Amino acid sequence: MTGYLLEIGQALLALLLAPGLVGFIRWLKARLQGRRGAKPWQPYYDLRKLLGKEVVMSKNASWLFRFAPYVIFATAVAVTLLVPLVAAPLPFDAVGDLLVVVYLLLLGTFFLALAGLDPGTSFGGMGASREVTVAAIAEPTIALAIFGLAVGAGSTNLGRIVAQTLSNPGAVINPGHLLGFTALFIVMIAETGRLPVDNPSTHLELTMIHEAMILEYSGRYLALIEWAAALKLLIFFSLLSNLFLPWGVATTLTPGALGVSVVALVVKLAALAVIVALLETRIAKLRLFRVPELLGVSFVLALLSVTSSFLLR
Amino acid sequence: MNGHDTLFAQLSTLGASVTLLFGVVLLWRRSLGAYIEAFRWQSLVLSAVFALVGYYGHDHELYIVAVALLALKVFIIPWYLKRLYQRVGGEREAQPYVNIATSLIVAGLLVMLAYAITRPLVMVSKLPTRGGIPLAVGLIFVGLFVIVSRRKALTQIVGFLVLENGIALLAALCTYGIHLIIELGVFLDVLMGFLVMQVIVYHIRNTFESIDVEQLNQLKH
Repeated sequence: MTGYLLEIGQALLALLLAPGLVGFIRWLKARLQGRRGAKPWQPYYDLRKLLGKEVVMSKNASWLFRFAPYVIFATAVAVTLLVPLVAAPLPFDAVGDLLVVVYLLLLGTFFLALAGLDPGTSFGGMGASREVTVAAIAEPTIALAIFGLAVGAGSTNLGRIVAQTLSNPGAVINPGHLLGFTALFIVMIAETGRLPVDNPSTHLELTMIHEAMILEYSGRYLALIEWAAALKLLIFFSLLSNLFLPWGVATTLTPGALGVSVVALVVKLAALAVIVALLETRIAKLRLFRVPELLGVSFVLALLSVTSSFLLR
Repeated sequence: MNGHDTLFAQLSTLGASVTLLFGVVLLWRRSLGAYIEAFRWQSLVLSAVFALVGYYGHDHELYIVAVALLALKVFIIPWYLKRLYQRVGGEREAQPYVNIATSLIVAGLLVMLAYAITRPLVMVSKLPTRGGIPLAVGLIFVGLFVIVSRRKALTQIVGFLVLENGIALLAALCTYGIHLIIELGVFLDVLMGFLVMQVIVYHIRNTFESIDVEQLNQLKH
């Protein structure tokens, strides 16, 4: 019973933290670029404003256009139930492993691309085609990068992988781990639409991906999609931090351990946010046709990670 | 295997994989400046691996090798390469013989091949560093691949240097470094070879006003 309460608590925590994480990265980037920037909690106000606004729909939009935001949001929330955010052996581990996580994320992406195509605008179509191009290479790479860890742990269950790494801390610096981390980091950047793949701070660029698909959305639908995008960022950050550096994740369900693990999670997310903000300040956007090459690098790294974990077992 | 050896094994494999990582990153880049930068970082990691092997293998000669490697491959050669790059003008590796996406896949396959062919060696080896041996052989293959798949004389030189890094890494992991005299001889060889190549690049540049080696084919007619 406490396990299920924990699951719900974890999902609520993720929902609550996600907009703050996005706001924190924006604020940090503004500071690094010498601007004052909006406050880190600005996205919460944005979400409240969007939820209160009326929805304006294109005449050409079908039921799919209304339906997609709910699917996108629901898949993101479902994934937060399966990813070990604060505690490692979760009751829902029996429901789904890393393959379910990867394909739930892909389902969200799929519906987002469909929703981009639905109103029939040229931007939406472009965005959808680009998103699918990126996703086609990114999704197998996520699975492969985590498989590298799964081979070491002997299970594709995310909770088991974390528990295994915690019991054998030396495994963190083996080559499979390192290559897998690099691969997943590159994919994280591509999947969450950060620089150098997509520019999250504008929707006025010809080469935008995420923003091109959601141009037609407004009101509560836009709020749901933005919230889901923030959740996706949080999910990827916590996958990176908790799978590869699992310290702090609670293995017992005592209040003390859980408190420590929540603090550890926030610290890890903040650290990754600083890294991403620094990276985004330093580099420029990549030309669109070079994006598949960058993802090719991450795919090869993930492949090598699996190979070396498999052969050096 | 005690805890000391386990740590050594993991650190050396980690070093080898970071070295290989820079070799793979090299294949993704286009500008010649980025090639030089990647080579420089790779050499830095390589000299750290030498120092590591020296520390855990109790072989103090390896410290000297590590310092010599640092001086030669992190400072002297990249500096010369940069000067060469500036003199021949900002050419890019715009169209390699094998395109970038394919090169990356080929690099992945080459490393898997290296795993396959070094498997017997790794199985009989008792060294704590054996985990890195396939990665070192993979790096040699990747260096060779850079030489055959790139067009510009300068990137081919970097490919040669990466190949040389792979051999040095293999020597460090397999035998804890060869004798100091031989090692220094190899370094001198690399430096001389590099200087000769530099002269040839200037010649190619003077004759064709480009460092694209494809142009050399015209000499046949």
